[in-house]
Formats: sequence, C-alpha cells, structure tokens
Amino acid sequence: MKVREYNIVIAGVGGQGVLTAANILGWAALRAGYKVRMGEVHGMSQRFGSVVSYVRFGEEVYGSMVPEGKGDVILGFEPVEALRYINHLRQGGMVVVNTKPIVPVQVSMGKARYPEIDEIKKIVEEDFQAKWIGFNAEELAIKAGHVVTTNTVLIGALTQIPEFPLDAEHVREVIRLSVPPKAVDMNMKAFDLGIEAAKEILGL
Amino acid sequence: MAKVTDMVLWDKPGEKVLLLGNQAIARGALEANIAVYAAYPGTPSSELTDTMAIVAKKAGVYMEYSTNEKVAFETALAAAWSGLRAMTAMKHVGLNVAADTFLSSVGMGVEGGFVIMVADDPSMWSSQNEQDTRVYAKFANVPVLEPSSPHEAKEMTKYAFELSEKFKHFVILRTTTRTSHARGDVVLGELPEEIKAGKRKFGKFKKDPNRFVDVPANARKFHPIILEKIEKIREEFNDMPFNWIEGDESAKVGIIAPGLAYAYVKEALHWLGVEDVKVLKLGTPFPVPYGLLEKFMDSLEKVLIVEELEPVVEEQVKTWAYDRGLRIPIHGKDLVPRVYEMTTRRAVTAIAKFLGIDVPLDYGELDAKYNKALEIVPPRPPSLCPACPHRNSFYAIKKATRARGIYPSDIGCYTLGLLPPLNAVDTTVAMGGSIGIAHGLEIAQHGSLSEEQRKKEKKVIVATIGDSTFYHTGLPALANAIYNRSNVLIVVLDNLVTAMTGDQPNPSTGQTPHGMGKRIPIEDVARAMGADFVEVVDPYDIKKTYEVMKKALEVEGVSVVVSRQVCALYKIGQMRRRGEKWPIYYVDEEACTGCKVCINAYGCPAIYWDEEKRQARIEPSMCWGCGGCAQICPFGAFKPVEEGEE
Repeated sequence: MKVREYNIVIAGVGGQGVLTAANILGWAALRAGYKVRMGEVHGMSQRFGSVVSYVRFGEEVYGSMVPEGKGDVILGFEPVEALRYINHLRQGGMVVVNTKPIVPVQVSMGKARYPEIDEIKKIVEEDFQAKWIGFNAEELAIKAGHVVTTNTVLIGALTQIPEFPLDAEHVREVIRLSVPPKAVDMNMKAFDLGIEAAKEILGL
Repeated sequence: MAKVTDMVLWDKPGEKVLLLGNQAIARGALEANIAVYAAYPGTPSSELTDTMAIVAKKAGVYMEYSTNEKVAFETALAAAWSGLRAMTAMKHVGLNVAADTFLSSVGMGVEGGFVIMVADDPSMWSSQNEQDTRVYAKFANVPVLEPSSPHEAKEMTKYAFELSEKFKHFVILRTTTRTSHARGDVVLGELPEEIKAGKRKFGKFKKDPNRFVDVPANARKFHPIILEKIEKIREEFNDMPFNWIEGDESAKVGIIAPGLAYAYVKEALHWLGVEDVKVLKLGTPFPVPYGLLEKFMDSLEKVLIVEELEPVVEEQVKTWAYDRGLRIPIHGKDLVPRVYEMTTRRAVTAIAKFLGIDVPLDYGELDAKYNKALEIVPPRPPSLCPACPHRNSFYAIKKATRARGIYPSDIGCYTLGLLPPLNAVDTTVAMGGSIGIAHGLEIAQHGSLSEEQRKKEKKVIVATIGDSTFYHTGLPALANAIYNRSNVLIVVLDNLVTAMTGDQPNPSTGQTPHGMGKRIPIEDVARAMGADFVEVVDPYDIKKTYEVMKKALEVEGVSVVVSRQVCALYKIGQMRRRGEKWPIYYVDEEACTGCKVCINAYGCPAIYWDEEKRQARIEPSMCWGCGGCAQICPFGAFKPVEEGEE
C-alpha cells in the first residue's frame, strides 16, 4: 500500500550531514517507486548555522518544502534545531532526535540561554502532541566507529517509527551504495545501533 | 548510487534519477547540444555552473568560470552570435552586473540559441535583496520560461534553446531558490551524438556592423524589432508545451499559477478538497499568451493569480482584461503577499479567502504554540568556520585599529564577520562595493574637517574584500581609490577559492576546471596600479598579521594587505577525501582562567563555555586544528592533542 504523501523534516547544524541524510532518504523513496521532492539549504546558511532539509515522497507531491503543520516526522540532528522547525510537524507526529547539544556561540557569550532537554521534550509532547524519540546518537556513532556516522544512526532509528513507509533493509541498501567502500561496515553498525535505540524507546 | 555528475551525462534515455533543479538544467542544456557555457557563481544558481564544469570536457562543451556576470554574458553572447548554442547563468543580482550588456545587445538578437538562466532568491536566503527577474525581462522585452519542477526545468531548458533559435532572440530561464535547490525525479532524455562523442563544436561569426555595432543610427532600428519579436513569441506561447489549462471545465472560478506557484496551488487545492476550479498553469510569466488567456477566462466569474513576488502576470492579465472590456474580479496581490517566498500555507490561505471557505488548519493556534516554543530556542546564525583564516584577519584588523575603525566589507562568507564577537563589518552593499564605499567614507569623514579636527576625530577606514570579489568588481574601485588619492586600508581576504558559493576557482587560484589557467597574484595587481603600500601576510600568524596591519595604517594613501591562507572548509574537505588527519586542540584546565577572550573576542564555533567549571572547552568534532586559539589565549591554555585525530 503506497502512501499518498509522506513528509520528513531534517533539522540540524551546518556540517552535521543533514544533506547527506536527506539524499539517502530521497533515493530510497525513488527506488521504492515514489515521486520525490526535496528542498535544501545552500550557500552561506550552511556555515555552522541552523540548517533544514525536507524530504517528501508519495503518489502526489509537488513543492519541495514540507508545509507548516504537515510534517509526519522531524529528524533532529540537534535538540534545539528540532524545536526550531516544530511548526512543520503535524498533530500527533514524531520527533526522532539526537539529544547531544551543539551550543551556539551566542550562548557561550552569555547572550542567550540553551534550554534543558526536558524543556524541549515537554513542548514537543504537550503543546504539539508529538511522540519524542530522543537519545544520544553521537555516542552510538562513536561506538560504531566515528562521529560522522551520527546521521546513519538517526536514519536507522527513523526506519523503526510506526507506519514509516520505507523498508529498513531497503534504506540500508541505499546507505551501503552511498558511502565510501571503506566506511560501509562502520555505517552498517551505526544503522543497527540506531534501530536498536529506537526499538528500545518504542518498546518494540 | 552513481555520482550525480555521472548521471548528468548518462546515456540512458528513460532512466529516472534524482537531480537537483540546477543539475536538471545542466542535463537539459546537454540534451540541447550546448556548445559554450560561461558564468560567475552565485547562490542559488551555482550548482548549474559547477555541474557544467565537471561534465564539460567529456561532453565537448567549452565552459569557463568568468570573473563576473557581465563578461560571462558577453562570452556566451558572442558564441551565440557565432551560431553556437550558448548559455550563461547567474543569480538575480548578477543580472544587474550584466545589465549593461544585456539591455544594449538584446536588439541585436542571436544566431545560435542563447539562454540566460537567472536564479531569484525570494526570502533572501543567501542574498542582499529580493528582486524579481521577470520585471527585468519585461523591461528588456525578453521572454521568460519558469519551471514548476526539476523535470520540467530540464525539459524547459531544451525548449528554451529551440525558442531562442527560432526567433533569434534571447530567452531567460528563471528559477527561484526552491526550484534550483529542489531535488526531484527527472527522466533522462536523448543526448545528441556530438555530446556523447565529446566533440567540441565551433562557430562562425559573420560580420554585420549594422547589426553588431550599436551606434545610435543602428540602435534606433532595434527597439521596434524587439517589440515585434515579443508579440510573435506571445503568439507562440499559446500552444507551447509548458502552458495548459486543467481542472473542471465548467468551473466558474479560475486560478492562474505561473512557475513554481503551480506546485503550491496543486497542493493547496488538494488539501482544501476543492475540485470545481479551473487552473491555468503558466510556464511563461512573460509574455502572457493572450489566446490561451482568452480560452481560460471564457465563462469564468472570478480569477485569482497566485504568483511569487511582483504582480508581473497580474498586471498583464488586468491590462488585457480592461482592454477587452472584461469586468470580472481579478485578484492577486490583494490576497497573495508581495514579499518573501511562496509557500503552501500562503497558497492555501489565499485560495481559501478567494473561495470564501475555511483553511484546513488553525494557523493562529499553530503560530501561538510555535512562538511559545521559539522563546526557548537560542539563535544560531551561520558563522565563520572553525579554522577560517579570516577570523584571524578580522581579529588582527580590530586589534590594529583598536576597534576604532569603520569597516566596509563585501559579498562573501566573510560578511559573517558582521556577527559578534568580531563585529568587523559595518557596510555591505554589492559585489566589489567595499572599496568604493571605503573611498567615499574617507572623503566624507575627512574632506570637510579642518586639519586639527581631522587629527582629533580621525577614524581609520579598513575595507575587506575576498579574492573572487576583488576580481569581480573590486578592480575598477581600487583604480579609482588610488587615482583619486584616497587614504584607506584595503585588506584582501584571499582564501584562494570562491568559498561561499562552493569552492569555485578564480584568478587568484589560477585553476580552471580544465587544469591551470594563468594565476594572477593580487599583490602584483595592486602594485601595478600604484598602491602606496602592498604586503602579503599569512593570517594563521596572528601577531605578524597584526603588525603588518598597523604598519599599513600608518601609510598615507591606499594600502593593500593581501591576507592569504587557503579556505579551511575547502582544505578540510580535501583532507577528508584523502583520508588525512589533522591536529586538534584542547583546553588545559590548569591553565584556563575563564577570562573568555577566546569566546568574547575570537568566537571560534568549536570553543564553548563550560558553565560548571567556568572554563572554555573545545568540541573535538568541530576543531579543524588551526591553532588560532592558542595564539590569542593570554594564558596558553589551548594546546594541541598529542596524537593527531580526525
């Protein structure tokens, strides 16, 4: 049964591999026979600033941006970045998020405050009625071999959420084809660690 | 997955691939048998040029990174005059740079197809203003094609060349950020034999001074020719493949959706569950084809035009309707915002209001919840990268001027020197503008003061400009400052690459996509022009950089300091690809006094504040090992990790 429209919002900090993750999901969707639209940030905005990428697929998709209130899931590479794009989430959507913060310079300078993870979680769960799947993906990535596999850990977790329309093994295959040959094993391990983390949180 | 750039040259007609809008346009140009491509990079157009750079040699296409949009335009135009299919690309503000040639040459027309790709940036994600290229096109009487999806972008590019050749007229292919930077499924078409064989095509320029020399006597003949052509093209657009009418034929209401707005309108109609509406999908916002419009408007009782930015289609439709005595309500900018980019929300809201129905989502409630969430979200603007050599350049400039200078800057990553803690950018206007503004400020600040006052109130003026920008439009401004005996310091932030748009080469690197061109060192140019002081520094040596800046500031006249060190992002990317490691730094807890100089004056994104221990820390995954922190720390608290680690 194919979905009419599925919307993923990927949020993070420039340099975290948001675009790479989006590309993997886009290709997986294309190979699954869906129409695909993706929107992404280029240019100056990528320089360690807030970055968002959209992946949309289904039988009928047109625009490259996930409309406000229409996102099925937010894949957050960083906790406040997940919250920054929360307006794109639909009621009852999901937030799959790496809980390891990257503190902005403004916070270090004492000009802004970084919120507690629990404050973010509370807004997601109470105000937006969304499910929070938060865990330290960076820690798992290091366990898999390198911090750069954080996005693979998160994609692994994403494939486990209820009604996710792409098959996990199918997504794994695209990752295998996308990463450099010498990084394949590490990424496969990271993918598995992500799956395990999500299963544990979801009680699967 | 195959490499995207390989897919752009795949000889696999019918294959469905995922391409960026800009890459799809490159493929379209190849399918159209393009011969010459010249451009200066500018977000959101750059990936089109970068893709061409990678595939050009294999496809037998001449391709160059030109020094600015005007010369790129001229390069491609002359090729089109010589009977070749040629293309140039730029961002919206790039068309301003090319405008002189553009508006003066349009009447001369072309022989081979000539396509000008212009990428607009509504909402200004990476730009200094929000201009609508369709207005320019209307001004110049050049037709505009505007795609609604990556696949259509490819198809339209192919058609654009045919159209241009048929009418011997320029054609603008206009995209916006969300078309250029959207990825979507694209079905590959046939590649011409010459492209497959990589055979370079050569043209022949047929002399015709009455056509190619725009002395007034000739130029006077051009304007009526242009107007005649545009009316013929308007006719042509009545049944071109990217314009059509769809939806309920008996509907009493209609929506006109040009370009990408069509995508938002389709989504909005589905979301609203509206079916009894007729849609005019318009791939040609200028000139609007009257025949198709007549067919569409027939039997309608009201119309809404959903378009991004300026009411370009709206004004044409309203003028046409008035002239025909058609008196039905025609809505547009009264319901659709004129500023910032189109979204599904905007389309939904406008259409709901137009039809007098409810929006499917309580946006008021969503906004309230979202605003509450935003209260705890700290800002995270883009910043100069870790190890960016020009954080050091700015740091040295601030120190040398004791923060009492005025700092005009320019267009590039280094504009981010604006942000705290550096605060080293006071003005930024347009490419190359820093030097001109610096000169003007010098005259304004000092010109009318008495000698005594001037000494007392003297503010030094330090302009910063990047290497690519220096060659783009900095050169004439530098000549002007030197010639007119200005007293300014110009620091060229040379990172040996055009970093902001994606590491394109320029005269300072000397590289071209096809190997070495000729490198032009910036200091040689400055010396040849007659600058009063010229020196080159390595900004990774902060002390030396500071000392040279100080020396330069003492010189009466135009000083040029070339602060040269390769772009950190570029360097780290290359090292990563080669599997190399770099040294990283850490904070020695014994030595750190918590003075915060590293955070409050230097501001490397890899350095953060440990609230509990009241000390600075380095995030190892973000440290790129420049060691700048170790140079600026008064207590020697930053130290390299013994074992190199990536």
